[in-house]
Amino acid sequence: MSQSIISVKNITKSVISNDNELSILKGISFNINAGESVAIMGTSGAGKSTLMSLLAGLDQPTSGSITLLDSEISAMDDEQRAKIRSESIGFVFQNFLLIPSLNALQNVTLPMVLRGNEDEASNNQKAKQLLNEVGLSGRETHLPTQLSGGEQQRVALARAFVTEPKVLFADEPTGNLDQKTAQNIIELLFKMNQEQGTTLILVTHDANLAKRCQRTLIINDGQCQESA
Amino acid sequence: MKTNKMIISWSWREIWFGQLWPVMVALTLIIACVVALSTLALRVEKVMTNQGRSLLAADLVFRSSNPIPNTLVEQAQKAGLTVSSQSRFQTMAFSDLKMQLVTVKSVETNYPLRGVLNLTNNSETVAHQVNPGELWISPRLLSLLDAKIGETLAIGDADLTITGVIKDEPELAYNPFNSIPNLFIHDADLEKTGAVQVGSRVRYRLFINGDLSALAALQQDYSLQAGESWVDQNKESRAARLMGKAKQYLSLTILMVILMAAVTLILTCLHYARNRSETVSMLKSMGASRAWLRIWLSTQVLIMFVVAFVVGSVAGLLLEFLLRLPLADILPKQLPSVGLQPFMFAIGVALCIGLPALLIPLTRLLDAPAINVIQQQATTHYSKTSWWLLLLPISALIVFYGSNKLVWMVLVGLLVLFVLLAALSYGLLKALGKLKWGAAFSLALSRINRSPKNSMMQLAALAGSLMLVALIWLIKSDLLGDWQQTLAADAPNVFAINISPEEQQGYLQQVDTLQLPRSDAFAIIRGRLTDINAISTTELAAYEDKDVRILKREINFTWAKQLPVYNEVVAGEWTGEKTVSIEQEVASELGITLGDKLTFEVNSQPFTATVNSIRAVEWQSLKPNFVFIFSEDVIADLPATWMVSFRAGQDQTPLVNQLARSYPTVTLLDLRTMADKIQGLLRQISWSLTGLAALGVMAGILLIFTLLRLSLSERKREITLYRTLGASKKRISHTLWAEYGLLALSAGLVAALAAEVILASLMTWGFELPAQLHPSMWVVLPLLAVLVVSVSLSSVIKALLKPLR
Repeated sequence: MSQSIISVKNITKSVISNDNELSILKGISFNINAGESVAIMGTSGAGKSTLMSLLAGLDQPTSGSITLLDSEISAMDDEQRAKIRSESIGFVFQNFLLIPSLNALQNVTLPMVLRGNEDEASNNQKAKQLLNEVGLSGRETHLPTQLSGGEQQRVALARAFVTEPKVLFADEPTGNLDQKTAQNIIELLFKMNQEQGTTLILVTHDANLAKRCQRTLIINDGQCQESA
Repeated sequence: MKTNKMIISWSWREIWFGQLWPVMVALTLIIACVVALSTLALRVEKVMTNQGRSLLAADLVFRSSNPIPNTLVEQAQKAGLTVSSQSRFQTMAFSDLKMQLVTVKSVETNYPLRGVLNLTNNSETVAHQVNPGELWISPRLLSLLDAKIGETLAIGDADLTITGVIKDEPELAYNPFNSIPNLFIHDADLEKTGAVQVGSRVRYRLFINGDLSALAALQQDYSLQAGESWVDQNKESRAARLMGKAKQYLSLTILMVILMAAVTLILTCLHYARNRSETVSMLKSMGASRAWLRIWLSTQVLIMFVVAFVVGSVAGLLLEFLLRLPLADILPKQLPSVGLQPFMFAIGVALCIGLPALLIPLTRLLDAPAINVIQQQATTHYSKTSWWLLLLPISALIVFYGSNKLVWMVLVGLLVLFVLLAALSYGLLKALGKLKWGAAFSLALSRINRSPKNSMMQLAALAGSLMLVALIWLIKSDLLGDWQQTLAADAPNVFAINISPEEQQGYLQQVDTLQLPRSDAFAIIRGRLTDINAISTTELAAYEDKDVRILKREINFTWAKQLPVYNEVVAGEWTGEKTVSIEQEVASELGITLGDKLTFEVNSQPFTATVNSIRAVEWQSLKPNFVFIFSEDVIADLPATWMVSFRAGQDQTPLVNQLARSYPTVTLLDLRTMADKIQGLLRQISWSLTGLAALGVMAGILLIFTLLRLSLSERKREITLYRTLGASKKRISHTLWAEYGLLALSAGLVAALAAEVILASLMTWGFELPAQLHPSMWVVLPLLAVLVVSVSLSSVIKALLKPLR
């Protein structure tokens, strides 16, 4: 039996808006096993992104517990969660979020630097190899502004995989791309995911994209349902 | 460590990409200004301290325009005090080849009582006293006269052999316009020169040394007569006051530069922090700890400080050199070194301004939540712990300027001005909004009028910095222009003074024979005004007024059959006996009107005259001018010397020399050489002022540029929205150009108005010069504003209108 990598127990999340408490997630529980690919779907405002930010330790639930890689991140402070993220988690964002003042290669090596890997030569070698894999060899010294949207997302993919994360979170990774480019990025994402055996958690509106995942969680009115 | 290398190179690029470079330039400007000013101030201060007490050449000095009364000398000697007397006057000195106006100091053997007199015949110091028969001259005079040690100089009627040159002397005066070289002779040789006659201008000093209480008692017991004064350590010299004024002008400019640079710094940092919050959230999402982020941000801050310090220090030293040029003649050749103090001071100022300006927004940046990468949070709690940094500049201001009202007034004044400028510019735009305009202008105007707070801030900052730029530049031009006007092309350029009554006829005849166009000759009689309508002037309120000096010193009187044609009579008529004509400004200062009876004193002889007319006098015209001109019957019989001015071309030097040799005791003030000197001095001063003004302009333009770029990049979101809603690129770009063009134009006009008003007040009350209009500024300032706006706008508009993704 596969080992559980994320375990969510009865979490809720409320925010105060205009003096009213607004319940976004109302007691959600599920498990995700190592190596699984999971899509989180739901209508706008249903709480997909909130759930993802909780799972990734970017935010804390109002109640309930989340265990990520045997650590209860819902009980950790900001700095402890940051350490876990640097060690085990990768991100791909809808708007790429590359650092404009760093070139492609430096953007990819950045997570290694944050992690404390100080061997520049090996960092660069690894980053070059990944850039090669996403089809950007020869573009290492280009700045984000010199790259197209699709190319920027490829750099972001290389950056996400460079630390060989155990879990990769992707937030609408193709939301800002045209259909053809989006397709290429998805192929790459799944290919790299399989090669590295990463657990993939993907927030998307795209049903076709969700179909490629092993499981789909649907968020509706603060509740979570596993799609058949 | 390799990671550090990466952080350093990344930080360096972040400074450029993140638009932090204006911070670096602003810091550099601040450091350059502070290094320059404090180095110069320290140097001058050190020179003064080095001279120290020797500046007076004694513990106490008695000064008089009449020979030292014997009673005083006896009284001092009786009290066991040491005395030494000095007579000082100006006359011509002649070598075999050249002549030169000199200041002669005739001293006794025991001079100086304090300080050091080093006299040398070549390279070796050989004497510290002046003995009878000796002549010691300043090295500059030696070269001006093309003379050598051992040669004979004619000083008035006396022929004396140059014993050597003066190496160090006490009583050095810091007056940049005192360009007359001096020489020492012994008191025993004074009479031989024939320069001291009845009516000639000689200053007498009695140096007194001894017990402090005896000195005080002497001062107490002696009642000062007209033209007499005491000078001791506590009395501020005129030179020191002059230095003080110059320093104040420099400080004001530098304060403006620092203020503008500080605002640039703060705005840029705030903008950077806002723009980089997404990057910080992203770094946090990838696991960056606060410690790591702190290192990342402090590396950027450190790089900016280090670069600014290195570049600023070098620029500051260069600027100090430039500022020091005009002072070259009065500062010693070997300047005292100032050590590290100015640099420490500059770092101090830069840190006081830079640390809060940089660290408060950057620390807030650390609080940017990681979750923002996925979901923008409506509210974020920023820690306010770094606000204590604001205490740095505030306490520095209180410590250094706590009691300096001027600084606080300038700061408050600027604040008030800022509000006024905002209101004025906004009013102008509101008025424009009421007119009919094309689509782009209407949109632009409605956009400006929709966010009044923002627009007013922007307008005030724009108009304020434009105004400061204009002020710094125009003060410089007005000052220089006024100085240059003094030297009109047809003005007389040689003044002959100290002409004895016996020589007067012959002298004028020779001037006429040589065909040098001359003025009338005027008798000069030195005296004082003692009573107005039988009330002693010491009882007037004006007597206590520091600016009214005429009551406390001797002035030149003259008499005339006719008033000079270049003096316009503004009231009364030049008729009657026992009458006097008075200059209008002095008349109004002292409340004198037509018909008033004035009592004067010459050589202790009182006499009275009635005011028959009031004249307007242009003091800067270089024509012979007098405050009081008497009718012939009042003072024509008193002993007088005569003066005449004439104009000589550059090629008429032999004629002037001929005159000087025929009448060796007549003092010639040859403005032709002096004019060259003044021109040279002006050129140098203009260099340093231009350097300073350029710095101010740079700080101003940097601020304007920063303001515009920030304001434009903040519009990015709004413009994207317009684009999404289908506005054409052309429409958006037209609206933007119209909006910022209008902003620039109105800020430029308001700045011109404000600069004109402030400049007129400064010139009238600050520098006491006539105020004038600057029509070209009304064109240049709006144009400059539009130009800076165009540069800023075209540098960002492309990025703003990028195709939508």
